[in-house]
Amino acid sequence: MKIWIIFKKELKDILRDRRTIMMMIIFPLLIAPAIITGVSKVQMMQMKKAQEKKLKLHFIGKEYAPNLFQEFVSSERVVMIPRIQKDSIQHYIQEEFIDAVIEVSSHYSLALGQNRKASIKLYYKGSDSMGITRKRVEQIVERRERIIISERMEKLNLDLDIVDAFEVERIDVSSSQEKIGKAAGGFLPYIFIIFGFMGAMYPGLDLGAGEKERGTLETILSSPASRFDIVMGKFLVVLTAAITTSFIAIGGLYLAVQQFPDIPVEILQVIQDVLSLKVFLMIVGLVVPVSAFFSAIILSLSIYAKSFKEAQSIVAPLNIIIIFPAIIGTIPGIELNHITALIPVLNVSLAAKDVVAGIVDPILMAEVYGSLFLLAGLSIWFCVNRFNREETIFRN
Amino acid sequence: MIEIKSLSKAFRLTKQHRRELGKSFKDKKTIQAVNDISFTCKPGQIFGLIGPNGAGKTTTLRMVATMLKPTKGSIIVCGYDTVHHNQQVRKQIGFMTGQTALYDRLTPNEMVQYMAELHGMNKEKFLKRREKLFDILDMHDFSNRRIARLSTGMKQKTSIARTIIHDPEVMVFDEPTSGLDVMSSRAIMNLIRSCKDDGKTVLFSTHRMGEINQVCDDLAIIYKGKLFFNGSLEQFKSEMTQPTFEDEFVFRVEEN
Repeated sequence: MKIWIIFKKELKDILRDRRTIMMMIIFPLLIAPAIITGVSKVQMMQMKKAQEKKLKLHFIGKEYAPNLFQEFVSSERVVMIPRIQKDSIQHYIQEEFIDAVIEVSSHYSLALGQNRKASIKLYYKGSDSMGITRKRVEQIVERRERIIISERMEKLNLDLDIVDAFEVERIDVSSSQEKIGKAAGGFLPYIFIIFGFMGAMYPGLDLGAGEKERGTLETILSSPASRFDIVMGKFLVVLTAAITTSFIAIGGLYLAVQQFPDIPVEILQVIQDVLSLKVFLMIVGLVVPVSAFFSAIILSLSIYAKSFKEAQSIVAPLNIIIIFPAIIGTIPGIELNHITALIPVLNVSLAAKDVVAGIVDPILMAEVYGSLFLLAGLSIWFCVNRFNREETIFRN
Repeated sequence: MIEIKSLSKAFRLTKQHRRELGKSFKDKKTIQAVNDISFTCKPGQIFGLIGPNGAGKTTTLRMVATMLKPTKGSIIVCGYDTVHHNQQVRKQIGFMTGQTALYDRLTPNEMVQYMAELHGMNKEKFLKRREKLFDILDMHDFSNRRIARLSTGMKQKTSIARTIIHDPEVMVFDEPTSGLDVMSSRAIMNLIRSCKDDGKTVLFSTHRMGEINQVCDDLAIIYKGKLFFNGSLEQFKSEMTQPTFEDEFVFRVEEN
C-alpha cells in the first residue's frame, strides 16, 4: 500500500501553496471572528445612533390634543418642526428631512371625552434604523395613553389593575444549554459545513485537475502505486484539509466569542459545558463523514475536469447546493426526524444543533451517522471508480 | 524485453467527439487508435516507434506503461502481462514523455525520493543510487531548490533522475525531445544511448526521422493505428527508394 507515501507527498505539496494556506488556515481563522465582531459592532453602533439621535417630528392638530403635543415637546431628544405642508409630509419623511409625523383629527378630544378610542396617525419610514424611530414615538404616545387610562379608571372608581384579567408567570424548563443550543446551535453546523466544503475545494481542485493540467499525472500513473492508492492518498489529503479548515473556523469562532466583554457569565458557563469531550466527539463524528462526502465529490469532479478552470466552474455551483440545506437547518422549528435524518447536509445541521443543545435521540443519531458514513463510502467508491476509468483520466 | 502481440485499442466516442470528427464518424461508436500491431523490443537495443501526430504512438506507449488497457492483444514486459500484473510491469518501467512535468513545489531531492519510495526502494540502495545519478547529472548544487525555480535544463536533469532512480529494466520514452532546445534534446539522446549501454530495453517514440537514425537498432512505422514497417534500421535503409529518411517516411505514409 502506497497510500501513506502519496498522502505525505501531497500534503507537503499543498501546504507549500500559499493559496491553500490562506483558504485552509488564515481565512477560516479570521473570517468568523471578523463577521461576528464586525456585524455586531455595526449593529450596536447603528442602534445606539438611532437611540441617541434627536428625532425631528411634526405634529398636525396640536390644538385638538395639547396634552399629547406637550408630552412630545417635553420628551428628551425630540425636536418639533413647525409648519409643514400636509401634502408634503410623506415626501419629507421619504427624503429623511423629518423622522415622523403625528396627526390627530378634530374628533380627538370628543372621542376621549366619550371614553372612546381616539385615532392617531403616525407617518414614519419603516425601512429605517431597525424601527427605532417608530418605537420611540410610540413610547411617548403610550406614556400619554397610560395617564388617560388611569384618569378614566379613577373617574369610574375602579382600580387600574382590573384592566388585566390574567397574570401569566412563565416557567421555562429547558436548560440554558438547550436554549443556547436551539438559538445559536444552528450556526455552529453552518460554520463547519461551509468551511469544510471550502477547505476541501482548493486542495481537491489542485490534486485532481491541477495535476492533470500540470502534466504530472502520467508521472504518478506510471509508478507502481495502484490507482486505488493514488486516489486514496489524494482523498485523505483533501479530507485532512476539510476537517482542519472546519475546526480552525470553529476555533476562530470560539476565540471571537470569548473576546466579547458583554457576555454574561452564565452563557460562558454554557459554552464551557457544550465544549465537553462527549459533545466534541459527537461533533467530530458528524464533521468527518460530511467532510469525506465533500472531499470525495470534489475530487471526483476535479479528476473528471480537463483543466483547473473547468473544475472550478463545475465545483463552484455546488456551494449553493451545500449552503441551501445548511441554511434550512438553522430555521427554528425544523427538527431532526426519521426523514430529515437521511437528508445529507441538512441532517448534519440538525443533528449538530441537538448535540449542542444536549438533547440527543440515540435512534435518530444512529440514522444520521449511518446515512452519513454510507454516503461517504459511496462517494469514495465513486471517486475511485472515476479514477479507474480511462475516459476520465485521459479525457483531454 | 517488451513483446507486443496483435495489440488493438479502441476508444469510445462521445456525442461531442462524433460532432467534432465530422460526417464519416456520425454512426460510429468507437475509434480505432491502434489496430492489430505486433513487435518486440529486445534488451540492449533501442526500438524506435515512428509516426506522425495522432498515429497511435502515445496510445501504444501508454498501454505498455499500463495506463491504458488494450481492447485486444497482449503486451508482455519482462515476462509480466500488462493487464494481469500491471503493478509488476510498472516496477520494471521508467516512463518519460516530452510533456511529463515535475511537481513544482517539491525539490529535486524530494521528487526523486518520492519516486524511489513508490518503487519500494530501500533507503540504503536509494541513497547510493541518488548519489551516483546526482554526480553523473551534476545536480548537487540545485538538489534542494524548489523545482519551480529551476531552469529548463535543471528540470530536464531532474526529470531524467526521477525516471531512472529505481534502475528500471525497461525504458519507455514518448516523444521525449518534443519542445526541447538542442542542449536538452542532446541530454535526452545521451540518456537513451546510455540505457542501451547498460543493457536495458528501450522503446522510444518520435516523429523526427533524424532521431531514429541517430540511436535506433530497430524501428516500426505506425500510421492511423497500423504498422506498415517493422524491422531493423539496416533493413529499412536497404529498402529505401527515396533519397533521405524523411522523404522515405513521407513517401511510405502517403502510400498507405
